[in-house]
Amino acid sequence: MSSRRARAIVIVISTLTIALLPLVVQDRFLLKIFTFVGLNALVVVGISLLFGYAGQVSLGHAGFVGLGAYTAAFLVARLDLPWLLAMVAAGLVTALGGMVLAVPSLRLKGHYLAMATLGFGELMTLGFKEADFVTGGVNGFSGVPFPSVGALVLDTPQQLYWLVWSVVGVALLLAGNIVASRPGRAMRALHGSELGAQASGVDVVGVKVRAFVLSATFAGLSGALYASIVGFISPSLFTTAASVTFLAMAVIGGSNSLAGPLLSVVLLTLLEYLDALVPGISRTTAEVIQAYQADIYGLAIIAVILFAPSGLAGMWRRTRSTV
Amino acid sequence: MAELLQFVIAGLKSGSIYALVALGFTIVYAATGAINFAQGEFYMLGGMLGVWFVSLGLPVPVAALCAVVSAAAAGALFELAAVRPIAGGDPLRIIIVTIGGSVVLRQLALHLFGPDELTLASFTPGPSIRLFGAAIERQTLWIWALTLVAVVGLVILYRRTAFGKAMRATSLRRDAARLVGIDARAMVTASFALAAGLGALAGLAVTPLTQTAFDVGAGIGVKGFSAAILGGLGNPIAAVGGGLVLGLLESLAAGYLDPIYKDAISLIVLLAVLFLRPQGLLGGSGKEKV
Amino acid sequence: MRNARWVVALALVVSMTVGMSGCGAQGTQGDSKTAEPIKLGAVLSLTGTYAALGTAEKQALELESARINKSGGIDGHPIELVIEDDATDEAKAVAAASKLIEQDEVVAILGATGTGQSMAIRGDVDRAQVPQISMAGGTAITQQFDANVFQTPWSNTIVVPFVLDAIKKSGVSQIALITDTGGYGKDGKPIIEASAAELGLKIVANETFNPGDTDMTAQLTKIRASGAKAVLLWTAGKEATTIMKNAQGLGMRDGATAVPFFGGSGQARLEFGEGSGDAAEGFTFGTGKSLVSTNWGPDSEEFKVVSDFAKRYEAAYGQAPDIFAGHAFDAFLIVVNALKAAGPDADGAAIRDAIEATNGLVGFAGTFTYSATDHNGLTTEDLSLYRFAGGMWEPAE
Repeated sequence: MSSRRARAIVIVISTLTIALLPLVVQDRFLLKIFTFVGLNALVVVGISLLFGYAGQVSLGHAGFVGLGAYTAAFLVARLDLPWLLAMVAAGLVTALGGMVLAVPSLRLKGHYLAMATLGFGELMTLGFKEADFVTGGVNGFSGVPFPSVGALVLDTPQQLYWLVWSVVGVALLLAGNIVASRPGRAMRALHGSELGAQASGVDVVGVKVRAFVLSATFAGLSGALYASIVGFISPSLFTTAASVTFLAMAVIGGSNSLAGPLLSVVLLTLLEYLDALVPGISRTTAEVIQAYQADIYGLAIIAVILFAPSGLAGMWRRTRSTV
Repeated sequence: MAELLQFVIAGLKSGSIYALVALGFTIVYAATGAINFAQGEFYMLGGMLGVWFVSLGLPVPVAALCAVVSAAAAGALFELAAVRPIAGGDPLRIIIVTIGGSVVLRQLALHLFGPDELTLASFTPGPSIRLFGAAIERQTLWIWALTLVAVVGLVILYRRTAFGKAMRATSLRRDAARLVGIDARAMVTASFALAAGLGALAGLAVTPLTQTAFDVGAGIGVKGFSAAILGGLGNPIAAVGGGLVLGLLESLAAGYLDPIYKDAISLIVLLAVLFLRPQGLLGGSGKEKV
Repeated sequence: MRNARWVVALALVVSMTVGMSGCGAQGTQGDSKTAEPIKLGAVLSLTGTYAALGTAEKQALELESARINKSGGIDGHPIELVIEDDATDEAKAVAAASKLIEQDEVVAILGATGTGQSMAIRGDVDRAQVPQISMAGGTAITQQFDANVFQTPWSNTIVVPFVLDAIKKSGVSQIALITDTGGYGKDGKPIIEASAAELGLKIVANETFNPGDTDMTAQLTKIRASGAKAVLLWTAGKEATTIMKNAQGLGMRDGATAVPFFGGSGQARLEFGEGSGDAAEGFTFGTGKSLVSTNWGPDSEEFKVVSDFAKRYEAAYGQAPDIFAGHAFDAFLIVVNALKAAGPDADGAAIRDAIEATNGLVGFAGTFTYSATDHNGLTTEDLSLYRFAGGMWEPAE
């Protein structure tokens, strides 16, 4: 069996599993968790594009998630605009935000972008807290309606699950296309050697900007979807700590891969809800996991960088070649 | 007039703290070409360890020394365990490792010392000093004195000692330094220790005024980095200037504008300098190619 | 061995499907003949920043539910308490609430520990039409009115007028205000401004600071220059200590230039007294009477409730209950009281109505009387003034 065919089969099976899951799982809460997994996946796919392919670190993506969430919430709940329009607007606003941040800072080296995004994220959090008239301040923004298109309101866990994962699917297709395209190959080259990529006539900055803007847009859409699915958002959801979590998921997932980060999002997000997934688990175990979750993330990204620089994806590739 | 003087005193107090943290950024940057995102956590460790040593019954000066030395040792250990294995490679990896390190250090402090804030008594209790109608807390004098000692000590270390010259040589050209017999790797470890010690000193000196908690590191890290970048990342003396300028800006904004903008100032300074003049406003050594 | 991937993929799919259908199947079982338990959910911060608060609340809830079940439950139906940890995180609070609602099908939710988490679960509570009784003090919880949401601590809406009244009675008419821009201070600020105007107090300096700020000298300098005769500090953060130290440094705490400082429930924290030391000497703040239970007078019903609870709690856990345990005690008491009225088979909506009808119920924090417009239920009658002396509070007068 050729490697290409095996790959296709794995993709088909995972797609089918994800798509058919709501038919098997009846528990509404479990579906909600899998919906959250999808929302995280949307953000992490973007960050992986940025980190894994373009070799850039963002510590401010939670700021984009928040920007998308507040934009959509405000347009739908306060201005009574149609939900679909609000989604598009949230995507555009975050794309614009990404552009404003990316164009100047991508002239700089990697760590400058990291710091610029950190500053941006902190500034956004400050904005979410202070712009009370739009955001509701620290008390949060409540009363965001469910997603709806015309008269069709998506309010069951199944519908919301399908909605989110379809968006994830489209995002993956977009990301996959970019990866396979000429600019995508250039991005991989970027991670290896920027000078080399430049020398071979690749528009390095252009590629980086595109990756950054796309990843910001994915984050914004994730935020917009979160707002309408949960109905409540507040500044403390979109802090630097959340940005670090997203980054950790992408790092652990590995570079030069989309499947690795996707797997890492699924595992790490489910870890948070282990007590709901595994019925017999003791409360103490669940609490210990909860209390040490940040430790796990911190240690895991150090371990990955030190011992398995290409993350889960790399481990997978390695087992395959040695077996 | 007394009001302005009071704002300036407050600004120079915070500014000195930022300066010490900023120095740590520049030292690690000089040695590795990367930014140590865990720098703020050593500030936190300084205060926490100081409180802990005092609670063991040690007199304040001894506890302070122990805290700074332990934090420096933690910095060196961190470098040996996590940074050295990937040294010389992609700075991106060092960034990620230090981000992971900051999370681990913060969580460690949480598990060891708990989530509540901790207190340290003033080094020398007593009423403030009066100066033209403005007041200077005694602890502020300590902060200034310790900052001054640290900066002067650092200058002497770099300019006059063989160790300092070796560190400077390493930061300029790692391979050439090795050729003349300098252990470049030891220099990187030393720079992490030094940076952690300076951060810890800042956190320790300010704790009698502010208390401390496991989560104070991230915020000060951003401010310290803003100060460092304001001065130009490559220049320690300019970083001290950057810290003082940032402290003054914040204090004057809190005094004459709305204190709401106080936090925004360092962030705006950070972004503006990054975007408009990444070599820094004060330094401008063209060494860093961007 | 290329088939390895196949095996792994297949194993993954199979394990996922089996695992999930297993979880899905665990839903309904058992018959409803007799004594089916009544399920109450609780969203508490057992880990994270508010871990200490949430743990005290958990102990109080477990203590009280064990007690009620020992005495026969509600008409023979035992109460089953399902506690979820939100890790002091709003996203996790949302997940916890929806687990309680969707998976455990609870009839009411106690919690959350923090204001942010309490606000965050509102969407789920509203969509499911179950009542929520928050143990967090934020005014927004009941000020941004929601028919399903109640609250047990003393909120700013009653503490602010109480403290301002005390300031006025001390003969001061010009006050300075310093509040944080985070949760508690930002919450209190507009209430203080409105209430001061009502009482005829003039705010001559109105300053703010950010959580995490390490120096407030600039703000205090302006306050000192404003001619204010008292300073009202409204925050629950550790910055309160910095402010007192800075004020001491500026000579505002002793001698000829001393200014009295006042505060609210945010100062009922041991860390504040400990950290500020003599800089907080004489600091006056208002909060619930139950902070010092003898405030109630030895013959009052309140004293009996508070000291009985304290005795039970101490016997079970070897330490005196703090106010957070008390707020959880109240939340449980209120729900049980409503369940007794509405009956063991009542659904969420019926229990909500019964909670709203709570009238004159004596709990830890005072006497609760909810109405269709008041879901906080307490009054200034339940408050008292305290003063710091030697790093610890004592009843003022």
